[in-house]
Amino acid sequence: MTGPTGVGIGWRPEIAGFVAELPGLRFVEVVAESVAASGPLPPGLADLRGRGVTVVPHGVRLSLGGAEPVDPARVAHLAAVAELVAAPLVSEHIAFVRAGGLEAGHLLPLPRSRAAVDAVCANVARAQAEIPVPIALEPIAALFDWPDDELDEAAFLTEILDRTGALLLLDIANVYANARNRGADPLDLLDRLPLERVGYVHVAGGAEHGGFYHDTHTDPVPPAVLELVGELCARRRPPALLLERDGAYPPASVLRAELDALAAASGFPVVT
Amino acid sequence: MDDLAARQPEQVDDLAARQAERVDDLAARQAELVAALVAGGPVPPGFAPAPLAAARTALLRKRAGEVARHWPLLAASFGSDWTATFAGWAAGRPTQGSLRDGWDLARALRERGTLPPLGAEELALREAAARYDGRRAPRPRRLPSLGRAGGAVAVQVAGRVRLLRPASRAA
Repeated sequence: MTGPTGVGIGWRPEIAGFVAELPGLRFVEVVAESVAASGPLPPGLADLRGRGVTVVPHGVRLSLGGAEPVDPARVAHLAAVAELVAAPLVSEHIAFVRAGGLEAGHLLPLPRSRAAVDAVCANVARAQAEIPVPIALEPIAALFDWPDDELDEAAFLTEILDRTGALLLLDIANVYANARNRGADPLDLLDRLPLERVGYVHVAGGAEHGGFYHDTHTDPVPPAVLELVGELCARRRPPALLLERDGAYPPASVLRAELDALAAASGFPVVT
Repeated sequence: MDDLAARQPEQVDDLAARQAERVDDLAARQAELVAALVAGGPVPPGFAPAPLAAARTALLRKRAGEVARHWPLLAASFGSDWTATFAGWAAGRPTQGSLRDGWDLARALRERGTLPPLGAEELALREAAARYDGRRAPRPRRLPSLGRAGGAVAVQVAGRVRLLRPASRAA
C-alpha cells in the first residue's frame, strides 16, 4: 500500500457512513486500540480497504514516553493491526499515558530533558523492532510544561527523530495550541522542525476554556489553524493532511466544509 | 555504542549506573505527576499550579465524554449537568476504564438515592447482564438473573436482556 496522500479523515464508527461516501478519499487513520488484532475489521473500514484506501493505525496508549519499557503486548497489538490493514506506516505520540500503576486517561507531556529523550528513544527502538512498517511520532498538545526543561521543543523533537529515524506526524493544531498557551509564535517552531521528515499532518478543532486553548477534537477547526496549514504548506507541503474529529459530530455538511477547507489551504484535491 | 566501546569497563559501569538512576528518577516524577492529575496527589515541586489545574479539569471533561459513550442513558439523565456531575464524583478517583467508572458512579448515586430514572434503568440492565464485584472487569452472567435499580427491574435470559419494569418516576 502507498503512503498517505492528500486529504484524509480519522475513521470513527460514529461517522463511518459519512466517511464511506467521500468519493475522493484515499487515506484514513484508525485508532489502533479500537481494532481487534485478530480481526475482523469493522465493516466500514474493511470496505475502505477493499477500495484501496490507505489505513494508518494510530496508537494512543503505548506510552512511548514512559520511563518504563513499553508493554510488549501493546506493541504486538499495534504490529498486528498494521498487518491487518496492510498499513504503510503506523503512528504514536511523544507522550506518556500512565505511571506508577495509574492511568492518566490522556497524553501527558514529557520533560524536555536528556533522560526523557533517552527513555523515548529506547521505547521507540523496542517498538520498531516488532512493527513491520515505519513509525511516525506525533508531538502532543500540552497545557503545562515541566519545570526543568533542558531543551526547547524543536531541539527535543529533532533529537528524538534523529536518534530513532522515525517520521514526524506533525499535528498543526497542537503546534497552534502550544504556541497560544505559551505565548509563543507557532511559526518559530515550524521554521525549526525537520519538515522533510513529515509523514503526514493532523488538523483538529479546539476551544478556549478557563483561559487555556484546548485541543478538543470536538469543536470546529479555527481559522488560525487553517492559516497555519497554509504557512506549513508554503514552507514544505506534507504528503497528506488528516482531519481528526472525536465527538460532538456535526452535520455532514459541516464536516464536508472542513475537509474542503483543508484541501483549499493545502492545494490538495477535494475529497468530498 | 561507539563511544561506550572506547571507554574503560568501570567508566561504562558508571555511565550505566547514572543512566539507570536518571530513568528511576523520571519514573518517580512521572508517577507523582499522574497522581497529582488523577488521584488527588500534591502538585509536584516546581510545576505551575494553574496550568496543572487546567489539565486536571480537562482530563475530567474528557473522561466524562468517554463514560457517556458507555453509559448514554446515565449521561442523558443528567442533561447538561452530566459533565459537572461526573467530574464531581471522579475528581481524585483514578479511572478504572469507562465501563467501570460509569458503573461505580451509577451505584454510588443509587446508594444516595439520587440516580435519575433513565440512569436507573440502564444500571438495572447492566446488573442483569453482568456480574461486577467493583474490583475487576464485569463478567457476563451465565444463569438467568434480575437487575434492580431505583424501582427498575431488568431480566437476562440466555444473554438477552430486557427491562421488565421501568424505574419509578416522581408524579
